[in-house]
Amino acid sequence: MLKHLFKLIWNKKRQNFLLMTEILVSFMVIFAVFSLLVNYYMNYRKPMGFEYDRVWSVEYRPGVSFKTKDSLVVFYDNLRNKLNGMPEIEGITFVSDNSPFTANTRQSNVDYKKQHARSVNWYDADSGYPNTMKVKVLEGRWFGKQDDAATVKPVVINQQLRNELFGAGKALGERIGEEQRFRVVGVVNDIKDKGDFSSPGNGMYQRLDTSNLGWVNKLLVRVSAKADPAFESRLYRAMSNSFKNSNIDINHLTAKLEDINKQTLIPMIILLIVAGFLIINVALGLFGVLWYNINSRRSEIGLRRAIGATGKNVSAQLVTESVILATISLVIGSFFAAQFPLLNVFDLQSGVYVTAILLSVVFIYLLILACSLYPGKQAAAIYPAIALHEE
Amino acid sequence: MISLQNIEKVYRTDTIQTLALNRINLEVEKGEFLSIMGPSGCGKSTLLNIIGLLDLPSKGSINIDAQPTGNLSDKQLARLRNQKLGFIFQSYHLINDLQVLDNVELPLLYRDTTAKERRQLATAALEKVGLSNRVKHFPSQLSGGQRQRVAIARAIVGKPEIILADEPTGNLDSAMGNEIMDILLQLNREDGTTIVMVTHDPNMAEKTHRLVRLFDGSQVQ
Repeated sequence: MLKHLFKLIWNKKRQNFLLMTEILVSFMVIFAVFSLLVNYYMNYRKPMGFEYDRVWSVEYRPGVSFKTKDSLVVFYDNLRNKLNGMPEIEGITFVSDNSPFTANTRQSNVDYKKQHARSVNWYDADSGYPNTMKVKVLEGRWFGKQDDAATVKPVVINQQLRNELFGAGKALGERIGEEQRFRVVGVVNDIKDKGDFSSPGNGMYQRLDTSNLGWVNKLLVRVSAKADPAFESRLYRAMSNSFKNSNIDINHLTAKLEDINKQTLIPMIILLIVAGFLIINVALGLFGVLWYNINSRRSEIGLRRAIGATGKNVSAQLVTESVILATISLVIGSFFAAQFPLLNVFDLQSGVYVTAILLSVVFIYLLILACSLYPGKQAAAIYPAIALHEE
Repeated sequence: MISLQNIEKVYRTDTIQTLALNRINLEVEKGEFLSIMGPSGCGKSTLLNIIGLLDLPSKGSINIDAQPTGNLSDKQLARLRNQKLGFIFQSYHLINDLQVLDNVELPLLYRDTTAKERRQLATAALEKVGLSNRVKHFPSQLSGGQRQRVAIARAIVGKPEIILADEPTGNLDSAMGNEIMDILLQLNREDGTTIVMVTHDPNMAEKTHRLVRLFDGSQVQ
């Protein structure tokens, strides 16, 4: 019977072309939507990599300027001491603008011998970062006083960059970057600093020292569970006293995470709504085409009933025909979709695309079944005597 | 072979009730060639559909080969149609998207047969109707007479004991009609196939063993 159906479909290839094209286009759209969803889901499943629930971001703009670097260092040391003296504060770290859950990004490429890592996030942080953010140092160490006299700038890289540049080899002590101007002193775990749905990406931390402390205008503060709005006011006043001409802005990272998640989710929701409408249109189109097919084949259906087909046989034949058409379209569609992981389009993991292909195939089959079951059932109900008389 | 007792068929709409067949009693013996005649709308095709289990009577009972059919399920009726009955229609009812050989194979698809067996049986049926040189053609490439011969091959491919023909020569000129009639007579004579044929043509009816006339749904001869 299957061979018979293939023959019938092949001989009606012109009539089936549009339906197959519609299924193919639907598959590609669904594949795009699922790729996005699977990517977001896979990222969501990954650990955040740091503890953010009691961390506040304190911004002061403009920052401070001093005639000498020593004065600047003294100013920041005093500020550190002042803040650390507050019982609610468990840790502080001065950081660059691209701190977690902001839209700011600073990226560059990093080389190591013949290895080339693209789009590496560059972060600046001082020695208080691991304690404040609770990131784990997996190899080596974080920055410290011992780096004051370093002739080669020390950097800490994340696990992903470590794997990409060094694989299973040794990372600590290796020199990386343009003209080998950085030395790897430590490796930390990956962090999702752009929200729950973002990929951790490659990351490299530079030490905030006298050379770049002048343009810093943000610090992250880890507070105790006792920290309340009253403490937030005190912190605000303390910062205002230190930065007399600056605007002080305090934000909780939990709130910033919500904001950045919304920035990711809103376009995704809009895309889902658009895709939903598209799917409804495709479903109605498929339903219409299948319904039309059945009405234009009433004579054939009547004949098949007359020569020995049961109602179920007729219904099964029509559903199977739809499934075969879908299968042909899905094979073609999967061929195109498979190019995405093969050519590493958009730099996503192959698993994202493979999962999206599988989900899209299942979705299209379910859509086809849903759209063909009712017309198939209606075809089974056609009375052979009437259908044969109509011709 | 075929036994009809008190068959009545009533078509009902919201406002009208039409009696299409009225108390038809008919016995068709094995190997008999019976023709049914009557004016248009007298119920000939309805009677043939009821005999062919394509339509249900409003009253009465039908036995095919001594088997009562009244309580058979859809599956059992389909099996009976597939194994005992062959249908020939005035408008051929060939599937235009299938080649001649595939059209003839159709009834065997609903039996437990292999592709090789189907091909052999279909080829033999086409040889019997003189169309073995047209197996790869599509119905649109054939004349009316050739299409009806394909339809006959399809009706006989499963070696049914009964053939039901609904005006098989109705769309053909007299020469082609005679050719088709000769094939049916040959099937009846040589294979002993029981044939019930609806026709408007008295010349064709004359060639059969027995004639049943209908008028306004009632049997008048």
